Amino acid sequence: MQSNPPSRSTMPAFMDAWLARWPERQILIWSALTIGLGFLMVIGSGYADGHPPDARALLPLGVYVLSLTVMHLTLVLARFQGDQILVGTLAFLAGFGLLAQYRMGGIRFDDLARPDLYLLPGGILLMLTLCLALMRGRYERLADWMWIWAGVSLALVAVLLVFGHRYRGAVYGAGLITPTELLKVTVVLFLAAFIERHGKRLGNWGQTAIPRPPLRALLPLALFWILLTGLLLLQRDLGLFVVLSMTLMLMLFVGTGRAGYLILGALLASAAGYLVLEVFSHGQRRVAAWLSPFEDPTGNSWQILQGLSGMYSGGLWGEGFGEGHPEYTPIAQSDFIYAVIGEELGFVGCALLVVFFLIFFSRTLGVADQTRSGFGRLICVGLTSVLAIQSFLNLGGVTKFIPLTGITLPFISHGGSSLITGFISLGLILAISEGSPTRRRHTQSTPKTNRRSSQRTSNNPKGKPSKKSTKKGSGANSSAIVAPAKGCGKKKTTRPG
Amino acid sequence: MTPPLDPALWPSLRLALHIFFFMAVFFLLKQLFELRDQAQLRHLAKPKGAFRVPMLILTLLFGGLLIYQASWQLTGMLRPQFIAFMQLHDRREFNPAHWIQRGRILDRNGEVLAYSEEIQGKVYRLYPDGPVFSPVVGYSQPRFGATGMEAVATVHLNGGAPADLSGWGELGRQIVGGVQRPRGQDLRLTLDAELQRMAVARIGQRRGAVVLMNPNNGDILVLASVPSYDPNRISSELFLNPDPSAPLLNRATQGLYPPGSTFKIAVAAMALERGFNDTIDCPADGYTTSSRYPKIRDHEYYNAKKRGSIWRGHGRIDMTHALARSSNVFFAKLGVLEGHQAFRNFGKRTLMDRQITLHQTPYGSYRMRTGQMPRLSPKDRYGLAQLAIGQGALLVTPAYMALLTAAVADQGVAARPRLIDKDPPQALARFMSKDTADRLAVMMRTVVTEGTARGIDDPNLSIAGKTGTAQNPQGDSHSWFVGFAPTQRPTLAIAVLVEGAGYGSAVAAPIAHDLLLAARAKQGFH
Repeated sequence: MQSNPPSRSTMPAFMDAWLARWPERQILIWSALTIGLGFLMVIGSGYADGHPPDARALLPLGVYVLSLTVMHLTLVLARFQGDQILVGTLAFLAGFGLLAQYRMGGIRFDDLARPDLYLLPGGILLMLTLCLALMRGRYERLADWMWIWAGVSLALVAVLLVFGHRYRGAVYGAGLITPTELLKVTVVLFLAAFIERHGKRLGNWGQTAIPRPPLRALLPLALFWILLTGLLLLQRDLGLFVVLSMTLMLMLFVGTGRAGYLILGALLASAAGYLVLEVFSHGQRRVAAWLSPFEDPTGNSWQILQGLSGMYSGGLWGEGFGEGHPEYTPIAQSDFIYAVIGEELGFVGCALLVVFFLIFFSRTLGVADQTRSGFGRLICVGLTSVLAIQSFLNLGGVTKFIPLTGITLPFISHGGSSLITGFISLGLILAISEGSPTRRRHTQSTPKTNRRSSQRTSNNPKGKPSKKSTKKGSGANSSAIVAPAKGCGKKKTTRPG
Repeated sequence: MTPPLDPALWPSLRLALHIFFFMAVFFLLKQLFELRDQAQLRHLAKPKGAFRVPMLILTLLFGGLLIYQASWQLTGMLRPQFIAFMQLHDRREFNPAHWIQRGRILDRNGEVLAYSEEIQGKVYRLYPDGPVFSPVVGYSQPRFGATGMEAVATVHLNGGAPADLSGWGELGRQIVGGVQRPRGQDLRLTLDAELQRMAVARIGQRRGAVVLMNPNNGDILVLASVPSYDPNRISSELFLNPDPSAPLLNRATQGLYPPGSTFKIAVAAMALERGFNDTIDCPADGYTTSSRYPKIRDHEYYNAKKRGSIWRGHGRIDMTHALARSSNVFFAKLGVLEGHQAFRNFGKRTLMDRQITLHQTPYGSYRMRTGQMPRLSPKDRYGLAQLAIGQGALLVTPAYMALLTAAVADQGVAARPRLIDKDPPQALARFMSKDTADRLAVMMRTVVTEGTARGIDDPNLSIAGKTGTAQNPQGDSHSWFVGFAPTQRPTLAIAVLVEGAGYGSAVAAPIAHDLLLAARAKQGFH
């Protein structure tokens, strides 16, 4: 492997960036190898079952490796400094998802016109574009479009409600696309902007003995939320509603530091949960299937019990990719993909996948932790919340830990909209992890920026020699280091916050 | 790309790929861990560690989820309903649930009563003795579920809930090794297969039940109910078409019968407890509480009438004599003398109107009913007289009569009946005082030496007992015998019921005699 980056100075900027991103390269190469082994397993089992070998069977793997290469090179060329572990983990998860979909027959190499093959490269391209477009603090500009995000969110649901068609109890757009998946990004953007702008007022719960939430400040948010909830419930998209509501709660808490929002949220959630169970029959059915699965094993709980049967068959190590019979579990490729992994890779495979998700979340939360921009931090927290809640609801539902909500597993489940949304989310987080050299709006954050720049410059002589300072000096480049104080001042004059 | 490969090689190649895949993922994890320092975001502000708490919460949530998942995926054999679901509805051939070598069910000497065998790629549950043991063993069948011990001990039989450390070790080896044919654990019963077969054979084509137990520790040696069903051939026919012979009914533990004269030992015990030590005049003409009701008479009266001769009656007799002769008049009078409250109290003390649990797990329990004592109105003296001779509305199960007899044999204490060898012996309740039990035992011995059960008196074994001929509103009288042996330090207590077979002394008593003799001979060897 390309280890031990040699000393610097004479190297061109590209080489510096190339060396700076060697951990990412290392991880990407191993991801590709691992996923490649997985592909061999699937293809081999198909061959053993009597399918003639076909070189085109390796096409998805080629697409995957090519995507990783392009991604890595782009990041190097752009002298991108963002989180390498995050990129690596994402690459593995996305590859794992591709593998799982390929195994389920969701990706066909014999018909190049099908969109499934292009989802992963498309998503990665979209992620890169977003990341490059928004990095170096440009994402802060998204906060200006606060009401646009709100409008887009509502419009997406409304349009879908009018033009979509019903399928399996939910509403889909054309070709079973679920545009409402995008809400997971737009709503988070709106919330981040809103909370960042009104943070102070939202955090003011009064000086009285009994603290009460600032209703006036919450009013616009509450109106938006009521509208959104109404539209979502009309669509019967319970899962999305749950994800977004919990995200709202967490973002308000992080943005204001008021634990009261969590308590308030818990109260509202119990009330909403009760109402939903009263009104929606399919909610009741799912709770019944969760509490007493053997009451109606061939009806309500058929899917979940089939999933669990598959997992039991898999045992600790699994049957091997391509060896199981996931087709016995209804809709295995989307909501129940985790059961397939349990069946074919066993409990160990499941645990490994969960570990990768946890690493992923720890990195996105780490970015939030290290980001000084309040807006950026809120975006990170919001998107992490969405993804984590989504994963937990999916895995919990499949394993019967909690009632089934019919939510997809990010990056793994079948579903273009979900996958694309995941990549968009990650593009944003990566852009934020690149750091924001400039501060545009918030005057109060200027000292912070100054402190950071001083911290940064003082970092160099602080003993850690060569390698790290090299990376910093060359990678972040002059603008990153020199700009902060200057940039802040300049922006302030042109655009008063 | 794929080289031409012999599909026969695939299994080993697959295994290698499988292992390599996991190794690669583990290596990737290791790399992520090692590279995390070098990939720190040093251009950003220093981490404040604010993400530690949410990360901890996330880890706990997902960790809990994985643990819960393991309770299905790895130790699913602890969930019998789940196993049953998979055996019935899962089409994956490699699902271990289809291949569980369910533990065998053995009798006390290790004879196999039920076992699993793979026949042409499917695992079947087989019962070598057919219907003989089904009242205890029950059946286990994917479509119709399980009953009896097969249901109650299903987790144990499926290999779950190991009893000791080595059992857990075995379970762990099965999980880690991905064993496709997991082995369950054997279950040893207290039954004696030979004796049970003998009991069933002796009842033959008739209907009846036999319960033979050890009064000292509660071991049930025989629990037979005839006719029964063949657990090898369970079909919907069995459940849909009600067979008048009721093969699904466990006559021994659930069948309710009028006890007839065998109940006189209970009435005798009750009276002795209350200090009765008197004689009662028993005229040949019989006894009734009111001229509106037919007279209760002794069987000698009817015999004489049949022969055309005249019987002079017992005259004034004591309890020993009355029990030996099975005098209805004596006990009817005695019952009325004792009164309602005495019966109620004694019924409560001897666990009448109860279900006794023989073995219990979260997945079911094996129980026996005791009986049904009618709630008589305080003015109903005739009802009391009928109750005292084991007729009228009083109903008991054969298992209860065995338990009552065992209590007499064991100095008044009823041991909890045991079917599972590993269950510890336990006292259930004290039915009567030691003194009462001793006196009653002597009286019951007299029944065999000079009373109604003279026919089974045997120089080789000192049997004590009581016959019963219970009038049955639906047809012929039921033939009963309850007893224990040897009279000194009893080790066996028995209740035999043959439906509609007439005199207890003629049918039930010989069966009991033969079983007691055989059982005693086997005990001698141990």
